Amino acid sequence: MRNLIKPALEHLKDPRYFQIFYLSLFLSYGIFELGWNANIPGFIAVILVSLLTQMVFSFFLTKNYASWKSALITALGLCLLLKSNQWEILALGGFLAIASKFVFKVKGKHLFNPANFGIIVTILITGEAWISPGQWGSSPVLLYFIGAAALMILFKVGRIDTSLIFLVTLFVLDIIYSQIYLGWEWSVFAHKATNGTLLLYAFFMITDPVTTPNHIKGRVIWSVLLGIISFVLMSQFYIHTAPIWVLFFLAPLTAFMDRKYQFERFQWLNLSVVGRGPIIEKKNQLNNSNTIKLKQEI
Amino acid sequence: MKKVAIIMALLFATGEAMSFCGFYVAKAGAKMFNNKSEVILVRDGTKSVITMSNDFKGDVKDFAMVVPVPEILRERDIKVVDRYLFDQLDAYSAPRLVEYYDPAPCSQYRKYKNLEDKSSRANTMILKEEISVVEDDETGVTIEAKYTIGEYDILILSAKESDGLKTWLTTNGYAIPAKAERVLEPYIKSNMKFFVVKVNLEKKKQSNFNYLRPIQITFNSPKFMLPIRLGMANSNGAQDMIVYAFTKAGRVEAANYRTIEMPTARKIPTFVKQKFEQFYFDAFEKAYGNEGKKAVFLEYAWNVTPTFRGMKCDPCVGPPPLTNQLLQAGVDWASSGEQVYFSRLHVRYTESKFPQDLQFVVTPNRTNYQARYVLTHPAPGQYDCEKGKAYMESLKQRRDLELSELEVLTDWNTAKYTKYVSEGTDYVNEKQDAWPVGGKSPNGGGGNNTPWGFLLLMTGIVATGGLYYLRNRSQQID
Repeated sequence: MRNLIKPALEHLKDPRYFQIFYLSLFLSYGIFELGWNANIPGFIAVILVSLLTQMVFSFFLTKNYASWKSALITALGLCLLLKSNQWEILALGGFLAIASKFVFKVKGKHLFNPANFGIIVTILITGEAWISPGQWGSSPVLLYFIGAAALMILFKVGRIDTSLIFLVTLFVLDIIYSQIYLGWEWSVFAHKATNGTLLLYAFFMITDPVTTPNHIKGRVIWSVLLGIISFVLMSQFYIHTAPIWVLFFLAPLTAFMDRKYQFERFQWLNLSVVGRGPIIEKKNQLNNSNTIKLKQEI
Repeated sequence: MKKVAIIMALLFATGEAMSFCGFYVAKAGAKMFNNKSEVILVRDGTKSVITMSNDFKGDVKDFAMVVPVPEILRERDIKVVDRYLFDQLDAYSAPRLVEYYDPAPCSQYRKYKNLEDKSSRANTMILKEEISVVEDDETGVTIEAKYTIGEYDILILSAKESDGLKTWLTTNGYAIPAKAERVLEPYIKSNMKFFVVKVNLEKKKQSNFNYLRPIQITFNSPKFMLPIRLGMANSNGAQDMIVYAFTKAGRVEAANYRTIEMPTARKIPTFVKQKFEQFYFDAFEKAYGNEGKKAVFLEYAWNVTPTFRGMKCDPCVGPPPLTNQLLQAGVDWASSGEQVYFSRLHVRYTESKFPQDLQFVVTPNRTNYQARYVLTHPAPGQYDCEKGKAYMESLKQRRDLELSELEVLTDWNTAKYTKYVSEGTDYVNEKQDAWPVGGKSPNGGGGNNTPWGFLLLMTGIVATGGLYYLRNRSQQID
């Protein structure tokens, strides 16, 4: 019996299963606690269309079907952030998100964060979709759960750095400006810093290991820039969804960073066999190769 | 069944009643949201038109208002509008009660009738004496502009620091609440100006209005917000604010708080008709408590484009706003044929739950919505036929559900209304009036309903996941 269960558990070591699990949990929180029942057809449409798009593209292009997990993660991310009254529009978001992975590629690595691309392009071309920055509310409870769930996954993936650097940059700038310079009370900072949309974005969207720079130096510069530009747009131009827009327009920077600081590309597949953060271990061994097969340590 | 609805709005004889005390006590419903202010917000690109209504109840010479604004307003950017505008919008968009009559099961007799709702109040800062304008180098306060518009004397101030502004306001006769001082600073630092209003007694005497008319300001700024923090300095408890928002695109929602639709289309017992105001007051309080007292509530959202041929409400508690009323409210595109989308938001804010100023976003969400509650009267006539007996049974079941719905919505203790179900049909004869209404259950009042069950579940799941992960890790290291 044990022999039967063990391979199944090995399989589950792919951190994407955890990610799917937590994102589904957040979605059910939205449906059952925040009252998003009316959007259920939209959620189903996004998930189905995303998976279908992934399969069709895989069939014609890569023949690699293992990425259905990534497609599901992208679909769940769309459900958590994108709003529309029509399920067709949400489904379009799902299609665009997945299609972007296959269409916009630089050196075999997709350029845009798929969910981010889906959200922004759907908003721009349909004019019937939007992001509700306040839909999750603000609460320390959100910080705790989103943060805890993300930390578990990200320690595995080894990409906690982007989240933390982005949040620290944003928070430090905000503290300097709003608390120290303007003189708002700390409750204002606490309110802003525990906004659910911001936390979901920080812990689940910009941590995508495939669309963030490969090298740690690249990721630091990238996250700091993301934080600074988002801060300016939010505090000076009152664009409440600024981080999501900035991520979209910063996509080419990832490609630039990858050229400047070369490092092996992240691969989910190998990771799923290895079972834990490969990047740190590989860092000392290789510096200039792309897409290497990771050493397995079973 | 053809649904016909005739609605009767319980409107107040606004102006005088609001300006002079006594009215609140006389009518139970008027007490409803008595710490309430009303604002019309029009947003087009970066242009905002804000109309603020007040129901100041003291001597007009004591009236004063300080509002942070993003820029120095020109004289033509400030207007005084008729209070009627607010009453009209309130009557049109207020939560509504609809009555339907079941068709008689044994004969073909039908009758429809409909109902009611209620109105509003405002809240402002108080000026102790008359302003004597001084430009004071020491306080760092500059009078950027000075106008007399309608019955108001208006100053636009800029300040360098909060102490100076406070000193200036105090020496000029404004009683600034102690709590206001610490929130002045952030507004000064973010380069906001202060729109300071008092009543010009001469002009007031000349005007025919015996109340203070709403003031409207227009400005261009990326800021789409209401500086509620300054208003909180004025009051200790929760304050209610109704926002009537107009955009070209669709609904307006809060950017930094959750925006929730009030429960709607619920069937409630017929005896609620007598106490609909209290019903809605309690339903709001319950919903507010359920959302942790930190959400903004949507009470109405509709396309009100004057040229729009579709329904403007269903049913209408008040007439939809006309083109000239929209223009008066600052919707300057109302006559251009472009879309006018209306949202009514209800915010009850306290300092602890609303630490940040209310910021808004315009969404392309154009779904119509109204807070609507439904009464269904039993069929008239005899139920002596076969169909009639079946109808009696279904009526009892429905009434049972209506009672549960009432309890869920308001926390009223419905145990004492069991007769409503068992005697069912007796109420054909309009006996509802005899019912006592509004008894609250001991645990009523809509506290802060934290979803403890959910939190517990989440904690369990996160912990299990964590342990599982650690176990795997240690196994690998082995």
